[in-house]
Amino acid sequence: MTAAIDPEAPDATDEGELRFDDGIPGFPDARRFRLVGLDDVGTFQVLESLDHEGLSLVVCPPWIFFPDYVAELGEEDEEALELSDPSDAVLFTPVVIDTDERCFHLNLLGPIVINARTRRGRQVVLAQSGYPARATVSLDEVAGQATEGGD
Amino acid sequence: MLVLTRRAGESIVIGGEITVTVLEARGDQIRIGVDAPRHISIHREEVFREVERQNAAAAATASQARALLGASRAQAPSSNRTGAGDPEADADPSGGP
Repeated sequence: MTAAIDPEAPDATDEGELRFDDGIPGFPDARRFRLVGLDDVGTFQVLESLDHEGLSLVVCPPWIFFPDYVAELGEEDEEALELSDPSDAVLFTPVVIDTDERCFHLNLLGPIVINARTRRGRQVVLAQSGYPARATVSLDEVAGQATEGGD
Repeated sequence: MLVLTRRAGESIVIGGEITVTVLEARGDQIRIGVDAPRHISIHREEVFREVERQNAAAAATASQARALLGASRAQAPSSNRTGAGDPEADADPSGGP
């Protein structure tokens, strides 16, 4: 069984500790994180490591820029996240910024999923999805989103 | 690297709880089955490395992302009311010499 994650997800942003028992690819020892808001609208947030000082990733929900995005989690991901109810899941995509090109890339292949109820987190790899690890969004598009009211 | 030769249907056991089985070998394609505890994630290497690379890039550009994305969201709405802190600026769009 797989579960598609609902974009209308609960909130995991009270800055409490989130546990990533497997770390994340590239940072296997980073097990504890917290989410900190980056803007007033709540689009971009920072996933800050509590284990590695200075390690942080900016993240955002992908649906703002890719409304048709669907993340189907595998059983092993659901189990690792203790995700018995898909509506507990909160999903973000990591952001890589490119200041020269005035754009950023969302990692649609490897989203971060958090169980808002148990506070477990995991970076899942949607190998079967065909989604790219670098989906490009122009910075001008972000400014456009904000002036439209951000929803 | 430990190198072992196995036939289709044969397995190797790693650490007592991971079993890797060669299911089928056909030309240069080999189908492999992995039995492992749920908490061990298993990925094709190139996919895993790609996610690793993007995480490294995300971490390396996080401070720029904070500055740009935090700022662009905060500034954009105020562009509707330029010079809000300076009433005279609003009143003077065509008042040049």
